[in-house]
Amino acid sequence: MVNLFQINKRRPRSFWVVVCFVATAAVGLVDYLTGFETSFSVFYLLAIGLAAWFVGRGFAVFVSILSVAVSLGGDVAKGAHFSSPLVPAWNAVIAIAFYLVVVWLLTILHSLQRELEARVQQRTTALKEEMAERERLERELLEISEREQHRIGQDLHDSLCQHLTGTMLAGQVLEEKLAARNLPEATEASKVIELVEEGINLSHKLAKGLHPVEMEADGLMLALEEYAATSSELFKVSCRFECDLPVLIHDTATAGHLYRIAQEAVGNAIKHGKAKTILIRLDASEEGAMLSVKDDGVGLPEPPPQKHGMGLRIMAHRTAMIGGVFNARRDETGGTLVTCELRNKRHSGNPHRE
Amino acid sequence: MNKPKIKIFLVDDHPLVREWLANLIHQQPDLVVCGESEDAPQALQEISIAKPDVAIVDISLKRGSGIELIKNLKAQHPGVAIIVLSMHDERLYAERALRAGARGYIMKSETAKKVITAIRQVLDGKIYMSESLAAVFAEKFVDGRLLTSGSLVERLSDRELEAFQLLGNGYETRQVAEMMKVSMKTVQAHCAHIKEKLKLTNAAELLREAVRWQENHPTN
Repeated sequence: MVNLFQINKRRPRSFWVVVCFVATAAVGLVDYLTGFETSFSVFYLLAIGLAAWFVGRGFAVFVSILSVAVSLGGDVAKGAHFSSPLVPAWNAVIAIAFYLVVVWLLTILHSLQRELEARVQQRTTALKEEMAERERLERELLEISEREQHRIGQDLHDSLCQHLTGTMLAGQVLEEKLAARNLPEATEASKVIELVEEGINLSHKLAKGLHPVEMEADGLMLALEEYAATSSELFKVSCRFECDLPVLIHDTATAGHLYRIAQEAVGNAIKHGKAKTILIRLDASEEGAMLSVKDDGVGLPEPPPQKHGMGLRIMAHRTAMIGGVFNARRDETGGTLVTCELRNKRHSGNPHRE
Repeated sequence: MNKPKIKIFLVDDHPLVREWLANLIHQQPDLVVCGESEDAPQALQEISIAKPDVAIVDISLKRGSGIELIKNLKAQHPGVAIIVLSMHDERLYAERALRAGARGYIMKSETAKKVITAIRQVLDGKIYMSESLAAVFAEKFVDGRLLTSGSLVERLSDRELEAFQLLGNGYETRQVAEMMKVSMKTVQAHCAHIKEKLKLTNAAELLREAVRWQENHPTN
């Protein structure tokens, strides 16, 4: 019913004015033909209702009066006799009063409905805005954490590691001086140097975790290969990286996101999918590049459960941030297949030249 | 009676590293630091005045890249032996640095004990690298991956060689397919064959070999 009203609302008012006149005339004609003894007042309500709903209150009042006039005129023309001229006047007043009450109720109903519609519209807009805002925030959060990790990784690499290198060299100077005087403390100094060396390696590894992809265009291929090897060793699974054609990602941020997507997908495959074999692929295509992670685990449940949803959503966000198309689904063979497709010319194959 | 001391120039953007590296070198009776610099342009300028025997260069500098500096030094001062001292992974940078003209590569995490050894070895006319890196190079050599033009042409088919050269020239995979008037699938098959024939393990290696080969055979 509401739909019908909404569809009909699109027609111009003039259309409804004509419809009201035609309906009143038609009902009046039938009223006239059936004689004055039968009352037709209810049928005039059709035109009055349409006028009240689609045209306006004033026109509805006019149609009410017109209906009463047509009805009375018809009765008189058919030869109706009244004992007193007050009788038709009374009947007319009663009919008009009845029609006006209906008009009043209908216009109230109509305005209520319009109000409700407007409110729903408002709420929908607000909700959409809120959703967009939340997505933007999530994205920003991701960007910030990415930037911070990158910065910390860079700082570790550039300042802490260098500082430790200086310290280690200082230790070496000391050790040589002690050794030159044949002092037994030289061995201890040597031990200190070893400890600092371990410190450098440790912070180097930390930096690598925070900032895994080297700045070079082929850095992603190397980083993924290394990650596959480390994962195999660490989680006791078979994790392979395959890349048939060279895929060069010139934008470091993009490479970083692709790496994190692969990392998240492999992590999910092991943690939630209980996978034993994982294949990370990086492919060049006519349009750009495609990263895919396929496992032989239990597969993605349908629909994806909420608590696992965050990882998927972050992968999707990352993909959106680099302008790609993300997809995670249950594979034909039962495991999960995560793909991230980039359609951008600059992502495939231009070797870095010095 | 006194032999002139061997002069060493330091290029590193971290003052603490420069300071203690200099102290360590000064401690050796026959070595002396003749100058230091934190960026590439300054280094080039000062090295032409100081005329060192050895230059120790970091790859990441405040201004300019270490690799470019090595190439420039190699061209302008061929007598200076260059040793790279870097925080960067040797598997990624050592080959590039050595190809640019460096005679040694030391990771900063093993600086203390190795730097003096490296200096002496380089002065003896040898190349210095870590044992693990030497093992990687040896393996490549045994596998026949250190390419020469003759062996390469012998092993690859004409179409494979064409794809290999185009990749080495910096064309994208898509462009290679277009230029050879074949599909991406065919290029993929060529690459698979090349990898198999040259015993390369992955696409990254394939690309490096292609670029390297092309750099050595620019007329092809």
